[in-house]
Amino acid sequence: MLGEVGLPVRTRNRRPEQLPVRAVSRMRGVAVLSTSGLTMQFGTHRALDAVSVDVPHGVTGLVGANGAGKTTLMSIALGLRPPTAGTVTVLGFDPGQHARQLRTRIGYVSERNVLPEDMPASDFVKHLAEVRGMPRHEAKGRASDALWLVGLGEERFRPLGTMSTGQRQRVKLAQAIAADPSLVLLDEPTDGLDPVQRDEMLALIRQISEDFSIDVVLSSHLLEEVERICDNIVALDAGRLVAHGRLDDLVGDTAIVTVELVEIDDRPGAVDAVEQHLQRVGLEVARDMTRLRVGGAEPHASLDAIRDAVASADARVRRISTDRTTLEDLFTGVSL
Amino acid sequence: MTAPAEIFDRGYRRYEGDRAGVGQAMRSVAWHTIRSVLGIGRKGRHKVFPAIVALVAFLPSIAFLALTILIGDMLGEALRPPYWELFGLPIVVVVLFATLVAPEALVRDRRDGMFQLYLSTPLTKPTYLIAKFAAVMAVMAIVVAGPVLLLLIGYTIQSLGPDGFGAWLGVVARILLSSVVIVGFLAALSLGASSLTDRRAIASVGVLGALVGVSIVVGICVDAIGLRHELRVLDPLGAPIEMAARIFGEIGPAGESPGRATTPTWLVFAGASAWTTMWMGVLVARYRRLAAV
Repeated sequence: MLGEVGLPVRTRNRRPEQLPVRAVSRMRGVAVLSTSGLTMQFGTHRALDAVSVDVPHGVTGLVGANGAGKTTLMSIALGLRPPTAGTVTVLGFDPGQHARQLRTRIGYVSERNVLPEDMPASDFVKHLAEVRGMPRHEAKGRASDALWLVGLGEERFRPLGTMSTGQRQRVKLAQAIAADPSLVLLDEPTDGLDPVQRDEMLALIRQISEDFSIDVVLSSHLLEEVERICDNIVALDAGRLVAHGRLDDLVGDTAIVTVELVEIDDRPGAVDAVEQHLQRVGLEVARDMTRLRVGGAEPHASLDAIRDAVASADARVRRISTDRTTLEDLFTGVSL
Repeated sequence: MTAPAEIFDRGYRRYEGDRAGVGQAMRSVAWHTIRSVLGIGRKGRHKVFPAIVALVAFLPSIAFLALTILIGDMLGEALRPPYWELFGLPIVVVVLFATLVAPEALVRDRRDGMFQLYLSTPLTKPTYLIAKFAAVMAVMAIVVAGPVLLLLIGYTIQSLGPDGFGAWLGVVARILLSSVVIVGFLAALSLGASSLTDRRAIASVGVLGALVGVSIVVGICVDAIGLRHELRVLDPLGAPIEMAARIFGEIGPAGESPGRATTPTWLVFAGASAWTTMWMGVLVARYRRLAAV
């Protein structure tokens, strides 16, 4: 029942009973967003294809190329489209049945970079806070607080049309958080920003999650920025789920160490000697000219063996590094 | 006495208090729309047109009141227009206002991304449209009901109003009912026509066409071609005045034709209802297809 698990419920005397959704959902370990066999078909085009995923708390990157199904997933999560098949729950609730109540708890930043030109930022944020259910007497103060948080405190009375792209993106973020959501959905929030503005926006998003325990689902096609701030990722490709889980588990250092040697005239056969030494101690070696990729053991063990092999062969090292899996590798692997 | 001081900048924090329902969201959208249309909180140039239109709409009432105040009852009851006629006197202004209000209320949201944002909130397409409809009705009521109510109040102060409190209340009720019917009709028509395009200027032309263009066509059909005079109930400019006349128990210009039977009241309202239903249908169909996110 709705009232039992945390959303405000109108009673006969029309006074809403307030139960903090965020606390309840976190206590029970409810996933922020959970789908099972989620499918969305538009005519002959399948935008989502049997996607089953649990999105935990924190900052989650929803990554994929344009047309991967990111925005479709967001619109289903907001209860704006019913899925063709499968189920979805957001903060523990079915958006199809409890869309209105749920959307008081979700902040949304659209991909579109258009805003009412002649409206002051404070009026814009206050208005949307009211629409999201913030009582009128609270909305003004919260709009101001949200704008200060995103760094626009001094600019809050400026019309939106006079603001830079970076400032407008901040205003969009402010309107999404002003009504104290449990979850914020951000659709390409760094679109059109220069590198400095992008860094600042990413830092803000991280801050919102860490300082205020607001869960964030960030849709982006820029893998590098997702890697920088996200705790979890959900990767989509042409509507199919290609990877999901904690970012630490999916990307980072691998057990492969790459060593690149220098072939010099007065030490012929040094590279061969290193390769043979490593194979003798039981490591797997893949050679490409003077470059050796060494696996089959923990990275520190491989590094020790490489050190010994290089010393015994009196070889010269140009570069040595531990291989790292990036989000791009995940996508490239899928494509291959 | 000044308002008590308030501190607004307390730093962003969690909120654990009550949340309002969709009713507040609709009220907020409606109020935001009214402010936008009237230019409140916007630059001065946005206020000019609404102010001029409102002023012109009130001119006939102000003129009659001024005459009454200056020469008393010498104007005579016969020369004082019935209340329902005042709905028709500023009709050109009302039409101009309709061409401004509905596109401003509806088209702007689609162009500046507000429509998308609204649908990510507790609002749905129906509740959004209801809020917009209410806002447009409220704004148009200023130029439709305002002048008639002003005249009633003026006459009442001059002791020329209805005899007795009961009669006075009856006139007020008729004025309000007529206003609701007229602004409802005009709001449906102008919102429906505005929904068809994402460009405000084209929407304004569309509203003008739906009001004036259709009115001309109906006029040609009846007067030039000689079709049945009952067709006048489909005249979008004549129908509102005719409805007001019927609510006051009289026959308006669109309801009678020399030497012919008076158009029945039910037909007058049926004609207006047909237009209202059609344009509401257009509005709903158009918004049903619009993608939210």
